[in-house]
Amino acid sequence: MVLTSFQNTKCECGHQNAVGTVLCEACGKPLYDDDSNHSILEMRYDGVARKSQKASPGLIDSVWNFFSSVKIAVILIVITLVGSSLGTIYPQESQFVNVDASQYYKTTYGTLGHIYYLLGLSHTYESWWFITLLVMIGSSLVICSLDRVLPLYRALHKQKVRKHDQFLKRQRIVYEHELTTDTEQWLSDTEQALRKKRYRITKNDGALMAEKNRFSRWGPYINHIGLIIFLLAVLARSIPGWHMEYYAAFPQGEPRPIPDTPYYLQNDHFTVEYYSDKEMPEQFVKEGRVMPKLFETKATLFRCVSNCDDPVLEPKLEQVTKYDIRVNDPFEYDGILAYQYDFDLTPKLISVKPMLKDQKTGQSFGSFDVKMSNTETQYTVGPYTLELREKYLDFALDEKGTPMTKSQEPNAPAFVFVIKGPNLPESGEPYMYFPLQKDKVRFQEEAINRDIMKKLRIEVASMNDVSISESTSYLNIRKDTAMPFVWVGATISMIGLVMGFYWQHRRIWIRIEHQQLLLGAHTNKNWFGLRNEVARILQATQLEVDAKAIDRGGNKV
Amino acid sequence: MKLLLEISQDAYLIAFFLFCIAFIMFVFAMAGHKKKANRVVHERRWGIIAFVITLIGLAAQIVYFITRWIGGGHIPVSNMYEFMSFLSMMIIGAFIVMYLIYRSPVLGVFAVPLAFIIMAYASVFPSEVQPLIPQLDSVWLKIHVTMVALGYAFFGIGFIAGLMHLIRCVNWAPDAPRKPQVWLEMIMVLIVVIIGFTAVVFSYRGAGYEVTIHQRVEEVDKQGQINSKIESTVYTMPPLIAPLNSEPADINPLLGIQLPLMEAPDWMKGVQAARKLNTTVWSIIGGLLLYGLIRLLIRKPIAERIQPLLRGMDPDDLDEISYRSNAIGFPIFTLGGLVFAMIWAQIAWSRFWAWDPKEVWALITWLCYSAYLHLRLSRGFQGTRSSWLSVIGFIIVMFTLLGVNLIISGLHSYAGV
Repeated sequence: MVLTSFQNTKCECGHQNAVGTVLCEACGKPLYDDDSNHSILEMRYDGVARKSQKASPGLIDSVWNFFSSVKIAVILIVITLVGSSLGTIYPQESQFVNVDASQYYKTTYGTLGHIYYLLGLSHTYESWWFITLLVMIGSSLVICSLDRVLPLYRALHKQKVRKHDQFLKRQRIVYEHELTTDTEQWLSDTEQALRKKRYRITKNDGALMAEKNRFSRWGPYINHIGLIIFLLAVLARSIPGWHMEYYAAFPQGEPRPIPDTPYYLQNDHFTVEYYSDKEMPEQFVKEGRVMPKLFETKATLFRCVSNCDDPVLEPKLEQVTKYDIRVNDPFEYDGILAYQYDFDLTPKLISVKPMLKDQKTGQSFGSFDVKMSNTETQYTVGPYTLELREKYLDFALDEKGTPMTKSQEPNAPAFVFVIKGPNLPESGEPYMYFPLQKDKVRFQEEAINRDIMKKLRIEVASMNDVSISESTSYLNIRKDTAMPFVWVGATISMIGLVMGFYWQHRRIWIRIEHQQLLLGAHTNKNWFGLRNEVARILQATQLEVDAKAIDRGGNKV
Repeated sequence: MKLLLEISQDAYLIAFFLFCIAFIMFVFAMAGHKKKANRVVHERRWGIIAFVITLIGLAAQIVYFITRWIGGGHIPVSNMYEFMSFLSMMIIGAFIVMYLIYRSPVLGVFAVPLAFIIMAYASVFPSEVQPLIPQLDSVWLKIHVTMVALGYAFFGIGFIAGLMHLIRCVNWAPDAPRKPQVWLEMIMVLIVVIIGFTAVVFSYRGAGYEVTIHQRVEEVDKQGQINSKIESTVYTMPPLIAPLNSEPADINPLLGIQLPLMEAPDWMKGVQAARKLNTTVWSIIGGLLLYGLIRLLIRKPIAERIQPLLRGMDPDDLDEISYRSNAIGFPIFTLGGLVFAMIWAQIAWSRFWAWDPKEVWALITWLCYSAYLHLRLSRGFQGTRSSWLSVIGFIIVMFTLLGVNLIISGLHSYAGV
């Protein structure tokens, strides 16, 4: 509909309407149709003018108009729908750790996979166009809602009881009848019947308006507010410090610090249980399937009270709390969450307590404690001092033959000490110590330390001097400050949906002039329910009405 | 426990047959009476009988559900078989709700078969009671999965009413446009293919067909080493399509054709993708044969043959039922399929959203129904166009439910397919 600014928007009832008004805000008379038109009225937003219908839009108005269109909103939804389905064709990059995406898709899925990667679909949901779509949907949510909710609120807030003939006759549900009884009596009977159905009644000079569940009209807008809060909360996760996530190994019995917090978490004991053959279906037992029953890390949380940032001194820890972390039962404390993620049952060395012995006499000078992590750098054993020069937790030799460590896990630990003391040179003599027997043989400890091992020897006396963690639990440590807002958004959105979908705004207008009854009724949803209700109300006043006959039908295409 | 589970399986079968009978009764109510004068009485009487049988069927289904819950020790919605049978129960529930609102027996002609087709389809999946793995052991299993099923069920009734609207309104006159006729009949073919699939599965299962094919699989372990191992796949239908890199097996030829015909393409990554592709090919063959047979018998497109059943139904009412059912389902699905799903994902997987294929397809379902609801705001999308959207919506629902698990593999793959 083309609107010009010169249009006369004054209704015959005397009300001055805003440009773009379809139905007079006061009496409801259709402003553009002539009286011979009997088609069902377009009742969306009660025919009020919306901001987006301004006559000659400027730049900002054009943007506003674009986003305020439901058609645009639906197009955005459909593009997002198609776009997100593209992302499910192959697994997304984000599902892999340590994979070279430029090679992975080519080798795993062939040329098609490579094209998929080149198009950027391997990270669909992080791509600029997808984020743009989400932002546009967000804008559309805000603008669509504002454009409609304010005028609708105004229109519903100041409804006139007495509506124009044309307005009533052109509703979808219309009933006309020549009353033979007393009109006053009939009107009060009807009012009774309407009140029983929980309608709110306003009356004015032979006209009556009954209305119920107007709040349901606000449902969609409340839903949209919830969705906006949800989207903003998701965006807020990129605020520095609001979102932290990492996976870490927790060897049994060793407190590990949680970065940027004063806390240390320790895996006291990890358990994995499997279902017995009796508990599983016979078919599974036959196939030799194994089904886990329980993954559990008994954990202790410590707070560091002193020496926290000192790299040399051992931090002093104070126990805060204990928790059994299971799958589906994460540990939460002070905004920090720990989830059971993975486990490794390979034993890992925590510390050894070897003795320093005289090779010839076998006499021991004493023992010292070598820890795999936070290893001390200086030891004094009897008359000797040992200085830690090098530490390799996972010892190996690279192509050039230089020592290196393959990982930070103590799979093959090696330590280079410089020993000073009696019968040794002033500058000390190096000793390369492998705590594990397998490494002593594999890397030939005897050969490396040929000279010094004629004089001294570093050795553990028994297994009691070795402390080993039986298992390692991998936990996912997270902090997500935005989560409460995500849930608030989701809750508001749900409240809006329920309000909008499980209640309907119903209005019934009645006018009686010279015994002539004219009834019109409108609802935003569920016409079936309204027409039955109107029929039942009329039947309560002894007017036999067929529910189907008063419905003029609005869905004919 | 064993006894309870046996009762459970019996109740399941009883429910299935009761729904079949109820369906026949509904058809009889709508089509059984030729004389116009008594049609209303006939329709009402037999409609009520059919409805009561449906209620008894639902009671049997509830017995199945409760006995399996007690016997299995956890709520039976933990794998595909259990979920599908629960879904069929919810569809009957949603049908009862809509029937009580609209009192329309003709709805039963379409909704009850939807429920028992899904029941039969559920039986295709392994039906043993499995213990819960830790990932599923949570109260959210009860809340999330049941809500999703209920939401799907209302979408299912929305689909049924939309389909009825389309069948009712499509013009079969010789000079009418062909496109709506063809598309509608395609939907009928799709439904027949699903029925054909179950028929094929049960015939081979009845005959006890089983062939094992071995396949070489290369896996990269945590240390980065490639390990080659042999995996075996048990086929319960003649393998037209073998797994990738499969070893030649000794298979009896089918109708003189040497099997397998080919290997599965390498981009199919789901668990046992080849076996599922093989099953799909079989169901299409079975379905098309069945469709051909039906066409031979009725000598008309199925949709055209059904149309007279719906003559007494006002298209506006069907449109209204479809919209109403989708509108009831939408908040339920949003709550169960997105909000509760996010809460559980946050608890079990530590993040509420990670673009896992199942999550994405739940979002797609939601976006599709939001588009549908917004389009109904503009008057043009009522009636036929709206019904089509309702049908497409339910196809997406079915893809989210089955397709994602069968074709794309993701975190929901433990659903036991």
